[in-house]
Amino acid sequence: MTSTKISVQSLNLYYKDFQALKNVNLEVEENQVTALIGPSGCGKSTFLRTLNRMNDLIEGVRVDGVILLDGRDIYRPDVDVVNLRKKVGMVFQRPNPFPMSVYDNVAYGPRIHGEKNKRKLDEIVEKSLRAAVLWDEVQDRLYKSALGLSGGQQQRVCIARLLAVEPEVLLMDEPTSALDPLATLRIEELIQVLRNDYTIVIVTHNMQQAARVSGVTAFFLNGDLIEYGNTDVIFTRPADQRTEDYITGRFG
Amino acid sequence: MKTRTTFDQTLSELKQEILRMGFHVEEAIYRAVESMAKQDVNMAQSVIDGDVLIDNLELEIEDLCMKLIATQQPMAKDLRRIAVGLKIITDLERMADYSCGIAKITKRLVGQPLIKPLIDIPRMAQLAQKMVKESLDAYVREDVGLAANLATDDKQVDSLHSQVFRELLVLMMENPKTINQATSLLFASRYLERIADHATNIGERVIYLVTGKREVLND
Repeated sequence: MTSTKISVQSLNLYYKDFQALKNVNLEVEENQVTALIGPSGCGKSTFLRTLNRMNDLIEGVRVDGVILLDGRDIYRPDVDVVNLRKKVGMVFQRPNPFPMSVYDNVAYGPRIHGEKNKRKLDEIVEKSLRAAVLWDEVQDRLYKSALGLSGGQQQRVCIARLLAVEPEVLLMDEPTSALDPLATLRIEELIQVLRNDYTIVIVTHNMQQAARVSGVTAFFLNGDLIEYGNTDVIFTRPADQRTEDYITGRFG
Repeated sequence: MKTRTTFDQTLSELKQEILRMGFHVEEAIYRAVESMAKQDVNMAQSVIDGDVLIDNLELEIEDLCMKLIATQQPMAKDLRRIAVGLKIITDLERMADYSCGIAKITKRLVGQPLIKPLIDIPRMAQLAQKMVKESLDAYVREDVGLAANLATDDKQVDSLHSQVFRELLVLMMENPKTINQATSLLFASRYLERIADHATNIGERVIYLVTGKREVLND
């Protein structure tokens, strides 16, 4: 049984006069990895950012339509955006740890949400680093700068930092595009582990990655959601010719 | 803008290679049955000797498919094209084995007068050969209609096979001395019937390749 975590209904998004998303309807399943694919400028990252209202920070953006998280509209005026982003966290393309120790990076979120108990913080940091499959690699250098870690480790610090505030949905915007193949595979393995406890939406330019990590794939083109469905179906027998052209590399 | 030119070239090379293998298989079927009708041992031997060529082609094509999968990460229809190619060469290789089986029967029967003139068996061979050709044409042209038509020919081969079976059964009942040769001929007929079934397999794969749907052409 799958249940819907996020329900997107008739979503339109405009950057001033330019319409970047056109009447998108999509159900994000709980505890599933949903991959968003499509050529550059197709709206997939824009779409990802609508899910925790990151687009609010960009000037001239207008959104209409409905996005329900657990049945509640996240665009209602009384929604606490900080709280929303705690629930729906984001990992970015380039690892962006804060210039502080590994420990402080991971404890950052719980601290600003008011956690002061040292023992409690230790617990959260260890648990989060373990969940990000990083604990074994950093446990004896917790108090050294996170910037001294490798790119792949830094990205996992960012994921641990995210997990520390106990989110429900993880948004990942090309989380491995700056990583080498081995670090990429580690993150992909991690995604497989995390999907048991979180709902994950990932934007990727790497089609093989989408095929490997996701259960559901959505294909965007020029702001339209062209097709979405089970990943194995999308990659073996897509219904739409445009999806076929894109995934077989015969676009345009 | 056209992308993936090299990949497309290799894919069409794959099709050409499969066609080439298919051509040798058609030839093997024809020569096997011809050698039987004419009781020509040399021709039969040439079918048996030629089998290694077909076996090697299968391995070469398999390697080509593996290379394409490893280096090009084929998706969707490209993936189906290659996967279907891998299945087709297995069917073709098996058809060649059946042709060899017929050629071996020819060698065994040589010098014995035939207990009946060969009429239906060459007809089955002709049909089977045509089915092989058409199944591969369907693959190369990705023609669903042509693939679906194989079902009709297969029915005809099946009914010829039952006819041969009934006739040989009567002969054996009338004269037990014919049993040795009759069972051999029965095997030959059975081999041709199997070759036709393998051709319908190819047809079913072609339908999957084009439409992504599974259909049965042989029931």
